[in-house]
Amino acid sequence: MMFQKVLVANRGEIAVRIIRALREMGIKTVAVYSEADKEALHTQLADESICIGPAASAESYLNMEQIISATVASKAEAIHPGFGFLSENARFVEMCEKCKIVFIGPNSGLIARMGNKSEARKTMEEAGIPIIPGTKEPLIDAKEAKEIADKLGYPLMIKASAGGGGKGMRIAENAEEFLSNFQTAQQEAEKNFGDNTMYLERYIRNPRHIEVQILADKKGNVVYLGERDCSIQKHHQKLLEEAPCQALSKKLRQEMGETAAHAAKAVGYENAGTIEFLYDKDGNYYFMEMNTRIQVEHPVTEMITGIDLIKEQIRIAAGEPLSIKQEEAIITGHAIECRINAKRPGKVIELHLPYGNGIRVDTALYQGYIVPPYYDSMIAKVIVHGKDREEAIQKMCSALGELIIEGIDTNLEEQYQVLMDQKFLAGQIDTGFIKEHIGKSLK
Amino acid sequence: MLRFKKTIYINIDSKKLKKEEKRTSPEVPEGMWCKCPKCGQILYNEDRKEANFVCPKCGHYFRMEAYERIEIVADEYTFQEWDKKLPDKNPLHFKGYEKKLAALRESTGLLEAVVTGKACIYGEPCALIVCDSRFMMASMGHTVGEKITRAVERAIKEKLPVVLFTCSGGARMQEGIVSLMQMAKTAAALKKHSEAGLLSIVVLTDPTTGGVTASFAMLGDIILGEPQALVGFAGPRVIEQTIGEKLPEGFQRSEFLQEHGWIDAVVERKKLKQTLFQLLHFHSVNRSSVHMGRDTIRLDERDRKLLKERKKQKKIDAWERVSCSRMPKRPTAMDYIQLIFKNFYELHGDRAFGDDGAVIGGLAFLGGIPVTVIGQQKGKNTKENILRNFGMANPEGYRKALRLMKQAEKFHRPIICFVDTPGAFCGMEAEERGQGEAIARNLYEMSSLKVPILSILIGEGGSGGALALAVANEVWIMENATYSILSPEGFASILWKDSSRAKEAAQVMKITAEDLKQLGIVEKIIPEQIAACEGNLLEIAGYMKQGIKEFIEKYKDLKPQTLADMRYKRFRNM
Repeated sequence: MMFQKVLVANRGEIAVRIIRALREMGIKTVAVYSEADKEALHTQLADESICIGPAASAESYLNMEQIISATVASKAEAIHPGFGFLSENARFVEMCEKCKIVFIGPNSGLIARMGNKSEARKTMEEAGIPIIPGTKEPLIDAKEAKEIADKLGYPLMIKASAGGGGKGMRIAENAEEFLSNFQTAQQEAEKNFGDNTMYLERYIRNPRHIEVQILADKKGNVVYLGERDCSIQKHHQKLLEEAPCQALSKKLRQEMGETAAHAAKAVGYENAGTIEFLYDKDGNYYFMEMNTRIQVEHPVTEMITGIDLIKEQIRIAAGEPLSIKQEEAIITGHAIECRINAKRPGKVIELHLPYGNGIRVDTALYQGYIVPPYYDSMIAKVIVHGKDREEAIQKMCSALGELIIEGIDTNLEEQYQVLMDQKFLAGQIDTGFIKEHIGKSLK
Repeated sequence: MLRFKKTIYINIDSKKLKKEEKRTSPEVPEGMWCKCPKCGQILYNEDRKEANFVCPKCGHYFRMEAYERIEIVADEYTFQEWDKKLPDKNPLHFKGYEKKLAALRESTGLLEAVVTGKACIYGEPCALIVCDSRFMMASMGHTVGEKITRAVERAIKEKLPVVLFTCSGGARMQEGIVSLMQMAKTAAALKKHSEAGLLSIVVLTDPTTGGVTASFAMLGDIILGEPQALVGFAGPRVIEQTIGEKLPEGFQRSEFLQEHGWIDAVVERKKLKQTLFQLLHFHSVNRSSVHMGRDTIRLDERDRKLLKERKKQKKIDAWERVSCSRMPKRPTAMDYIQLIFKNFYELHGDRAFGDDGAVIGGLAFLGGIPVTVIGQQKGKNTKENILRNFGMANPEGYRKALRLMKQAEKFHRPIICFVDTPGAFCGMEAEERGQGEAIARNLYEMSSLKVPILSILIGEGGSGGALALAVANEVWIMENATYSILSPEGFASILWKDSSRAKEAAQVMKITAEDLKQLGIVEKIIPEQIAACEGNLLEIAGYMKQGIKEFIEKYKDLKPQTLADMRYKRFRNM
């Protein structure tokens, strides 16, 4: 049964993106906003808007009780969480389930399982996905960890079970520095996540970061929609994403896609999800983690497949079957997305967005808008679609030239440097790209 | 503001809409949220439960239902309830009482205000008695008193320790004088339980007042309190009305009680189960099966060798020893305790006036044997020294020590004392509370305790203040410690009216370890290669540990009366 009203529990461009999709489907929209977002685009665009608290995320966009109350009060039947905030919070999903609110995403049990890294690894290994050699059981004792580390061999990655965003993560190049690095990572994990269980895995130097998009409905149908190459990262934050990945052969693409779809089926996955892989220089791929939500970079997949992922998410949550079959998921051309980040908050004095053939801009900016200091710095995504990678790069360069955001410092220059780098143009990219090739000029 | 056209662009099929009329709108089920009474924040009940019913936002302790309490304390599936249903009594034929009970049973699902039974805590069996404030504020009527008494009696029969979780508004008014009698009944049952040599642990929870405080709640061998729990005989409102004053913040709370000597420790809820296990375990270890490890070299031989070597070196004079014993960097009782013993658990209070920072004491293991450890504690800096009163105990310090020693006697634990004090505190308050009596009482009671006692002088052995912890089967002294009738300064000023002649006094007073050994005041000298400090602490502690183990081996199989007789003789011959 399709929804009549859906609440969007997010802000910024993704909230706008979701509101648009809902509207196109004839579904009424409810936005929630913090006191700092009274003037935000998503607040103004939705049919109804409900203030859920002060500017600080913890008191508004992360305030589960307020969001549930807003949903009940507005009689919305479902919540679309977007990404970030509560999108992968199993506790919140559990509350939704108790309140008979449809959460547009997988169920709480699955989110909890995939959110715990050791557990996710174990699950994926059982489903037949290759994983990076490493420990299977969580480690607490440093001495015990050292023994295992010596057996696994160096360099090694030390990771927090509950980790994320580079916190609680250390590389041990050799046995000598293992103990101290393990302890530092553990302390960080304890401090940030209140959980000191760690695990170890072989460190793969500068791999590519490749992720496979999948969709799964309630009927057990699963499709994979190709991959995205997200190797261009700065401090573990993705900066530029493209699809498809140049390094994959047709055969390998199909193999990785099928593996991902198989794993999703094996765990009983439902809704949109992404399986992230590390791809090493020898052409091996290993499971890294599964994201149980829509991703920032989802538009590149939409551009090369012509499938509206947000709408598919909503349909799946409403119990409808997938609108496409695997053989209908055909990849055409090449798409690139550049994330435009604000370096500091401020007022948009003048705004000009690029448009034209094969150009898409997802943003919540408008002329006169004041970017508040409380939230994520990403203010726009420029996405282009060309017949091949070369055309896409040309198109992106041209489009970025038309992008004018007066009043706010952005990372536009950095994006140009990437796009014009010889290695990038040659498709020779990996997660060490920014550090090694753009390096000092990108501070 | 931007002016958008907010029409819905796509028409929805009207037929489709009709089918969808039976939609269920979302709703929040009852009990999913609760509000913290302290910070006012809305909490998800599951979060609260996972945090052991402590507010995750502000740390407020929610009152717990009896079965919730059992769930967080007892091992899964081990709780067996006793006397679930006892017949009601209405001794005063109080009108409407039965009706009220029936209504409460309906709303709480409880039959009475207390739940009793048997359970295991990390495998340690015990009788559990848990009050539930939802049932008439857990007031003690006949049935409550009866259930508690029966549980204690059954614990005696089954040789079980008792763990009591108290909370109560006091007596049950509807049962009048019969309710009052429950205080005597429960207290008497606990006395019998104690006489059977069994352990009782009380956990005071919010709120414990009135007749319950004045009976079973204050009678545990060990009394713990939950943070911030209100505990008192008279309720705060009654006190305020009586004295016409507002009570200060924190009055009658667990922390206040600890400061005033009434409870052993305030225990966070998340550590409660572990703490209860630890305390039960101290009392359940089968000592006959424990074999203490032994070094290959007997210490006596090593001592003699070491001391002989030292004699060859330059002679250290008495005054140097005095300065050494007073050095601020000299390791304190706690330093040794932490290194020598395992799982030291500190117990506070004298159950009469206060908790003296100058004396610490508690339970610990040594080589698998539970022991009672007591020490005079100095601080390492000014702040600590103010808390520790520079190691000068007040009467409540000696009374705490005696309380713990008496408990050691009840549970047949050896007692190890670390003596380090300039002397008992000379102050007005100390006199008001009977400093002399407190010291005298310790000499009197320690002389006849039926367990082995070892006292080790680790620093200053200042007069009566030191002796009050040194009426032992054996007294040992560290090479640079002293033991004297009073300080050399005091000695010089009394005899020669000149305290600056302290150096000279130190020589004639015979206060060094060697002198004391010759006088037969001490049995053993613990050698210090260099004056004890952080650098050789580990070595000295290891040495002491081995010595204490040997002491326990030597005395543990002696008859209780023999131990007391030996001690009597030791001092009788002086």
